[in-house]
Amino acid sequence: MKSTLKNPAVYLMFIIPMIVLYGLFFLYPMFSSVFYAFTNWNGLEETQFIGIDNFKTAFGDKSFLSAIGNNMYFIFFSVGIQIPVIVVFALLISNVKKLQGFYKTTVFIPSILSTSVIGILWGFIYDPDIGPIAAFLGFFGIDPIYWLAESKWAMIAILITNAWQWVGFYIVLILAAILAIPRDIEEAACVDGATAPQRAWYLTVPLIKPIISVVVMLSIAGAMRVVDIVLVMTNGGPAGATEVMASYMVNKAIKYGDYGYGMALSIIIFALALVFTAIYQITLGKTERTEY
Amino acid sequence: MPASLKKTVPHIVLIAYVIIILFPFVFVLFSSLKENNVEISQAPFALPKSLYLDNYVKAWVQAKIDVYFWNSAYIGISSAVIGVLIAAGASFALTRMKFKLTSLLVTQVVLLGMLIPGNVLFIAQYILMMDLHILGKHWALFWPYTAGALPFSVLLISAFMKSMPGEMEEAAIIDGISAPGLFVRIVLPLTLPALVTVFIINFLGNWNEYLLASFFISKDALRTLPTGMVGFKDAYQTNYALICTGIIFSVTPVLILYAFLQKQIIEGIMAGSVKG
Repeated sequence: MKSTLKNPAVYLMFIIPMIVLYGLFFLYPMFSSVFYAFTNWNGLEETQFIGIDNFKTAFGDKSFLSAIGNNMYFIFFSVGIQIPVIVVFALLISNVKKLQGFYKTTVFIPSILSTSVIGILWGFIYDPDIGPIAAFLGFFGIDPIYWLAESKWAMIAILITNAWQWVGFYIVLILAAILAIPRDIEEAACVDGATAPQRAWYLTVPLIKPIISVVVMLSIAGAMRVVDIVLVMTNGGPAGATEVMASYMVNKAIKYGDYGYGMALSIIIFALALVFTAIYQITLGKTERTEY
Repeated sequence: MPASLKKTVPHIVLIAYVIIILFPFVFVLFSSLKENNVEISQAPFALPKSLYLDNYVKAWVQAKIDVYFWNSAYIGISSAVIGVLIAAGASFALTRMKFKLTSLLVTQVVLLGMLIPGNVLFIAQYILMMDLHILGKHWALFWPYTAGALPFSVLLISAFMKSMPGEMEEAAIIDGISAPGLFVRIVLPLTLPALVTVFIINFLGNWNEYLLASFFISKDALRTLPTGMVGFKDAYQTNYALICTGIIFSVTPVLILYAFLQKQIIEGIMAGSVKG
């Protein structure tokens, strides 16, 4: 009877479809990216191996450097501003009894929607002629602001849209960790006379540090590879004000046929993401395992 | 602070947040039912004067939202179904068949894939599709969608299979069932909850995908909803009511799915997100 589950031919039959698909459309592109990143391939001229020239070019490429800067804004905004807000809202939801399920399911909605459709939707909301923000500001006699067309506003407009989409997702992640904390710890603190904000700050937040750490890492990773929202809302404009690394890479490679350079950029993006998460892990992310 | 106030303040803050989340949807819904930009801009927050459903007919038929919609449904569903079946088969072999060492190795390689963010592969996949002569066809989306979802699918389905008791399988083997028979008649039905969750998550991912869809498909008739909507916005940028109708068509299936399966969707996406 054992032989039913011990037949190598049957085993292969079950795993080969996955191996082939995964190998061809996932592993192979991964290795070919690394290979072509060291070439000058542009689809027209003969491909030559040019060593690390693409990487040198990238770090002297002003547009790319400014795109890196914009990714840094993303990191700063999502870690520095979004995460404190996320933690506070998760604590608030965990503390209410009525409507808890309603809040949880509602705030999660934006994260299941298409980023491109959200971009279009918010483009309408920001519209200076007929959008609701302009109408709202109009009540107070404030002139409409060209959110997506002015350099000083475009980035913040995108960051707000991005926050609108993802804050609820992280709230639910943290909320799950808070609700997993055994209730007797909280009750003991109550008996000792701790107020709700005191319990939150001295008890809950230290206990959920590991999950906050995960959320920081996810935010950094997300901020490093952000692209859809930028392509849809501004396509990097005005004048490169919202260009991020991935949008620059995609445009450079596909529109200008600079494939070798594009692949080098993709490897830099990946490497920078690794470096940032590693720096975070080494400096701030060293959290001990929580024991209840 | 009096106790009653202490209880209401969090709710006031949270309701305000919920309004910020829901406001854009209500606004888009109202706008889609208004006749034109004049009616929207004169009173953006007002209910539509009458239910002007012409936008829906116009967007669906004339502006080809129907084409984008069916393209999305076709690619989204077929890729998710095939992906789930392949992942289920592989998970069955990796967790239930007796090749421990090989299985461990394969699992590790597949899980490694979860560390690679999709954008890194974008250009290489573009080139690959060109080489395979499927760039611009639906296959150019079908294959990367299916392959890209495998690591998460295998992870989730394997975890589910590992937690399953093996008595029914043993009984079936004693009765002389073949391995494929065992898989189709016993394992698939028993793992159905995990398969459904994985299907939904993968389908949502495909339905919403933008980057590949916008660069791998150039023919308008083959576009999926997210990119079709962007082209639609550019073509009708003066007609906001119509654009809002398109948005409604795009988000409604997802919202209906979410209404019925929020628990599976939330948990599934959370399990998948930790891949970073």
